[in-house]
Amino acid sequence: MKTINRLICAILFCAFTIMTTRAADPGQQTVIYDNAATAVATPPAAFNASSDLWVTLADLTRATKFALKPQGVCRDELCFPLPKNRKTAFLRTQAKTTWFNLSEFARLLHQPVAREAETWYFGPRLEVQNAFVGSLTAPDFTLPDVNGKPHALHDFRGKKVLLITWASW
Amino acid sequence: MYSELKDKNFEIISVAEDTGGVKDAKPWIDAAKPEYTVLVDTQHLVTRLYDMVNVPTAVWINEQGRIVRPNEAAYVDDRYKGMHRLDAAEYLAAIRDWAAHGDQSEYALSETEIRARLTPQKPDWALAAAEFALGEYLYHNGQGEASIRHYKEAQRLNPDSWNYKRQAWALSDAEREYGTSFMKEVQKLNGKPYYAPRKLKKDGKP
Repeated sequence: MKTINRLICAILFCAFTIMTTRAADPGQQTVIYDNAATAVATPPAAFNASSDLWVTLADLTRATKFALKPQGVCRDELCFPLPKNRKTAFLRTQAKTTWFNLSEFARLLHQPVAREAETWYFGPRLEVQNAFVGSLTAPDFTLPDVNGKPHALHDFRGKKVLLITWASW
Repeated sequence: MYSELKDKNFEIISVAEDTGGVKDAKPWIDAAKPEYTVLVDTQHLVTRLYDMVNVPTAVWINEQGRIVRPNEAAYVDDRYKGMHRLDAAEYLAAIRDWAAHGDQSEYALSETEIRARLTPQKPDWALAAAEFALGEYLYHNGQGEASIRHYKEAQRLNPDSWNYKRQAWALSDAEREYGTSFMKEVQKLNGKPYYAPRKLKKDGKP
């Protein structure tokens, strides 16, 4: 019984530690965006894309929820127009497939990027990260307790909350 | 303290910033047997969202979800006082005052005071956070060796963060991989405060 409990706990916990682990193949291009990892297709060798990350438009939406629209690159109400004179830095079409330069888009958005081989991590845009400094609204989060049960900060609305971090290390 | 204050519309959320997750955090939680909410943060998400640089760090959040005291050292006992020289009793008294008086407490700071204490993240720190997060991802995906490069880069870009240092050192043989250890680094401070000085009251009194 104990083993089963532990197993359930482990499974629930994995659901929160995000990241589908398809990065086992080191040649596989992986995009981590909003804390979620997505395996994406690799562009043709002719792209010579060693310093940039090119993804298909389908993968762009799968990995980032952004989509290419006439007015720019959009997610819900949020739209970023691509600079007109630099469209080719963002978009390339080969064999009927259009590829999007996600690392160039990150530079446009002032988004921090870290990379290890084919694994790319995109952090929040600086204005998103710093929003609470202006609004003083406590950034919301959802995390599991030791039994894997999720708790969100907003569940505590209406109470004074002492949010305190610690660590075993 | 929690049992004394919980009837005052007051909650404690205690978050373990542990890449090792339940495995590393649970012995501490079992020992403390807390009545309040304890969460496990394997990705250092709270550290990142609130721009924290050390543990223990606390933020006070009022009934409307607004910050009334930003990041500060939050020692609730004097176990490590020799290192940080902060008095737990004063801090606990401040918490009690806030639990009783809410926004009217002298320890609930004005917007002006809070903004003066908060620094918007600079690009270098944002990049450090990204490097650390990538390190975390690699560590969790069996690429421990590769993770060290990124932990080191995070430490270089944001040298003020003890979180980046101490967590990374704890995940490997710090002497071998990083050529240092927590105690060595603390000794290097040579009298400089280990933790940013604390101003409990508005006028800057400790």
